[in-house]
Amino acid sequence: MRNSSPPSPVSSISERADARAAFTALFESLRPDLLRFAQWLARDRALAEDIVQEALLRAWRSRDALKDAGAARAWLLTIVRREHARLYERKRLELVSLDEAAEIPDSAPAAAADGELVMLRHAIMRLPLEYREPLVLQVLGGFSTEEIARELELTATAVLTRLFRARNKLRALCGMAAPGIATPGEPA
Amino acid sequence: MTCDEARLLIGADPETLTAGLEEHLRGCPACSALRADMLRLNAALRRALAEPPRAAARRRAPPPAWRQWALAASVVLAVVAALGVWVLRPSDTLASEVVAHVQGEPQSWLATHNVSAGAIDHALKSSGIGLDVSSDKIVYAQSCWFRGHYVPHLVLETVHGPATVLLLRHEHVTALDHFHEAGMTGVIVPSGEGSIAVLERGGGRVDELAGELRQQVHWLPEPDDHPQSKDQP
Repeated sequence: MRNSSPPSPVSSISERADARAAFTALFESLRPDLLRFAQWLARDRALAEDIVQEALLRAWRSRDALKDAGAARAWLLTIVRREHARLYERKRLELVSLDEAAEIPDSAPAAAADGELVMLRHAIMRLPLEYREPLVLQVLGGFSTEEIARELELTATAVLTRLFRARNKLRALCGMAAPGIATPGEPA
Repeated sequence: MTCDEARLLIGADPETLTAGLEEHLRGCPACSALRADMLRLNAALRRALAEPPRAAARRRAPPPAWRQWALAASVVLAVVAALGVWVLRPSDTLASEVVAHVQGEPQSWLATHNVSAGAIDHALKSSGIGLDVSSDKIVYAQSCWFRGHYVPHLVLETVHGPATVLLLRHEHVTALDHFHEAGMTGVIVPSGEGSIAVLERGGGRVDELAGELRQQVHWLPEPDDHPQSKDQP
């Protein structure tokens, strides 16, 4: 016979409800970040919303796996990336044509600095997924080379090469000359 | 740390500074300038990615028929002009383009592990080329897009260090073309219906290797279905 009394069913339900509310609040607070991340991967807002929706559903089902709320952002970004990869794999093609993905310029004329930024954003959209994905994971997601390598199932050297090429392709697409380095455009 | 290793690290992750890279940067103004440039690019990247892309919601209406004809005519003219430039380009740009291509693949010099026989086979067969070289000497094998064609890009481990080899089926040269550019010594030699480019860093023995390769390279019938790549321009 146990000495301790069983937990009160009322307090247990209350704790679970609190935890659910906390998860909901956490997910909602990160949703804009996830959507932005998904949009840079999928290059389409409607598709990105579907991806995030599905990713949050998956995250909710396995929310017990998240032990540290501080790790939630990276955890959710990973789930979004996998959901995008799953969708990409299903379609087996570029999900959005470059014409559709091309950014709509603002109606007002952009300042020179804004113009460069628009050009860079357009160049990012034109990057093949194999280069865009590690770049977005690194710059937007804050993942290290080793974390990207684990996530993409690549070696760290392969990730470094893709990131190197991604930046050089951006430079080439934006017409920037690199000092002392060629701008590779060829696959290898 | 060499400049090639430093450039790879800087281009891949400009904000991370390892001890080795920091030491290299202290003595290398060119790599320091590259890092400063890449840091500026990274700052711009952060700003660019801070907002989601504004993608078009729907396709535009198709242009009227006369515009399509005008577009087709302009494309034909552009192709004719480009072909003219292509045919009339001076042959001495070939060496420069070979050097630029190799510079664009700095990690190829760093390869130390043997490449699988399948990867070597793929790189060669994509261009219809046979090669009598032991696979344990090949540490890098890729099929690269070069001057409108896929060409095998190999790095061979020799007793004098790594040597880069490009097998250029579609580039004809009439005589040996030696060059020394960007710290690389190279030669392009005629071979069969194409040519072979051999490059080494520093003072290499490229002639010797090129001579051996001329005996070892076999130009087989070119395959009809070339590999497609997302990177193909």
